[in-house]
Amino acid sequence: MTMRNWIQIFALLMPGLGLILVLIGSVVYIAIAQSFGYYALLGESAFSTEFWSEVFSRKIFSRAVRYSIYIGFWSAVLSVALAYPLAIWLRKPFPGSIGLGALLKAPLLVHGLVAAFLYINVISYNGLLNQTMQGIGIWAEPRRLQNDSNAFGVLLLQVWKNMPFALLVLTGSVQGISDDVLDAARDLGAGPWARFRKIIAPLTMSGMQAAMVIIFIGALADFTFQTTVGPTNRQSMAQLMVSFKSRGDWHSAAVVGVSLMIIALLGSALLALLTRTVMRGSPR
Amino acid sequence: MAAIGIRNLSKSFDGFQALSKFSLDVQQGEFLTLLGPSGCGKTTLLKIISGFLEPSTGSISIGGEDITHVPPESRDTALCFQSYALFPHLNVLQNLEFGLKQKRVSRDQRDARVSEVAAKLGLETQLSKLPNQLSGGQQQRVSLGRALVMRPSVILFDEPLSNLDAKLRDQVRVEIRRIQQDYSLTAIYVTHDQSEALAMSDRIVVLNDGKIVQVDTPEQLYAQPKTRFVADFIGGANLITGRVCSQTKEGLTSVETLMGQIQTSHRINKSSENVELCWRPERAQIGKGPYCGTIVHRAFQGQFTDLILEENDMIFRIQTNNDRFRVGEVITFSILPDDVVVLEADG
Repeated sequence: MTMRNWIQIFALLMPGLGLILVLIGSVVYIAIAQSFGYYALLGESAFSTEFWSEVFSRKIFSRAVRYSIYIGFWSAVLSVALAYPLAIWLRKPFPGSIGLGALLKAPLLVHGLVAAFLYINVISYNGLLNQTMQGIGIWAEPRRLQNDSNAFGVLLLQVWKNMPFALLVLTGSVQGISDDVLDAARDLGAGPWARFRKIIAPLTMSGMQAAMVIIFIGALADFTFQTTVGPTNRQSMAQLMVSFKSRGDWHSAAVVGVSLMIIALLGSALLALLTRTVMRGSPR
Repeated sequence: MAAIGIRNLSKSFDGFQALSKFSLDVQQGEFLTLLGPSGCGKTTLLKIISGFLEPSTGSISIGGEDITHVPPESRDTALCFQSYALFPHLNVLQNLEFGLKQKRVSRDQRDARVSEVAAKLGLETQLSKLPNQLSGGQQQRVSLGRALVMRPSVILFDEPLSNLDAKLRDQVRVEIRRIQQDYSLTAIYVTHDQSEALAMSDRIVVLNDGKIVQVDTPEQLYAQPKTRFVADFIGGANLITGRVCSQTKEGLTSVETLMGQIQTSHRINKSSENVELCWRPERAQIGKGPYCGTIVHRAFQGQFTDLILEENDMIFRIQTNNDRFRVGEVITFSILPDDVVVLEADG
């Protein structure tokens, strides 16, 4: 390719790519610089690794990292695991399948905060669930279900919110597999699980990886669900970042922010690799 | 005992009768072709035999064992798809091994069977390639190989040559037949291409509207079509109706038609009956004869020339090795009584 071609391609890409690079690049640059003591909103700006060592030495940070990874990983895995059978089921049209598909994707249109409040109303001390369980005689008295320590409520909401997205991505991928290919596998003796593991999963790998990575990144940085239904004894990384910022400690908040970006990047790569390894199956 | 026994098989889809009381026996090692126009039920029958469709009524047995409700993954059949249906993410070797792995065949056995089939089909140098790196003919061979390594009791072909060009089709057709004979496989082959059916089969089942119209050897089917549908579907045919006017002691029957009197050596039960006659275009003997016609169209086909003749508002077709005839010429011809077939009424 000639220099002229390169310049032409570069010029064509610049309006879109340039804007993205400027916007993302400036944010990343500011966050990194701030984590090393620059761009101080209060006091003197100077290079320092003090904020990194201070934040990393705090137990609350390591707990937030572990907690956010836990939420990110399980949200991604459970959302995709639930979306797969639905995508396979909806692969071929049947009476009502379009309506059903639309209904399953409805959570995409509901804001997370609204869903979280609805969830609280259902599980609250005097909420619908407690009243029902008492009404049918399973529980003698109401139970405290809000802000459970294992963050099952957060995971439930994450899956509720993200499963439709995974379904959207996977339905397209699964529909791309021809009937003949699946019939051929069946004809050669592959049962439902073997067909999924050896044909459907490898052929929808890209869609699965995309869904996993996008859900992981979103759930890793969760703030809304965590602050409304999350456990009170733990903080997510986003929550910790906001708490540092609220105290005016922008440098520590930047350390958490940069860590969040690094974990999102590494976590996504590891998740994509893990998916490939698990789903590829042995070639011989 | 027949390799495949089909008894009173019917299949309907939302009121449409795709197959109706279909019964047939296929012998061990036989190459049987299901031939018919689109929508005649041949693919439905193949899908029922392979287990992808359940019949509405009737039964199927393989080797005497009833398999009517056995799922496809548990049947001792292998299907070669029209689209080849190769697994796009697996290379040729992995495609060939797929079924053997599902059946948990030992590694040694697997290797031996795959090597044998790959050698037989000339795929040894293609084993590490992905399907999209192969030509249509090679993909077809992999599809065939994938079925052959399973050593099934019955191999089923669903129009496997329809995506190949004419030359390759001829070549693969010969290969399929050779391999079927080498392995003594019982084969059921679906096609709507009558030349393919005639060239490959031991027997042909002609289907129309979900029913068997005629089951015969290719030679019998061509020479002795039973109905107008078969005569018209298999090869070119001139069809003409007439009234029986006389029968001789030698067994010749004269039929009065618009062409004139046509003699046939085929038996006609009742006299003075309206009958339909059929004669093949290549059976016409050009030269002296009682029939004549004006050439209205001529099509040179290489080995022969197709001539469309018109006489008494009738159009008929003859074939000749002589390429000197031209449009507008009047030619006379005769047809031997043995070459005139009396057809039964359709249905």
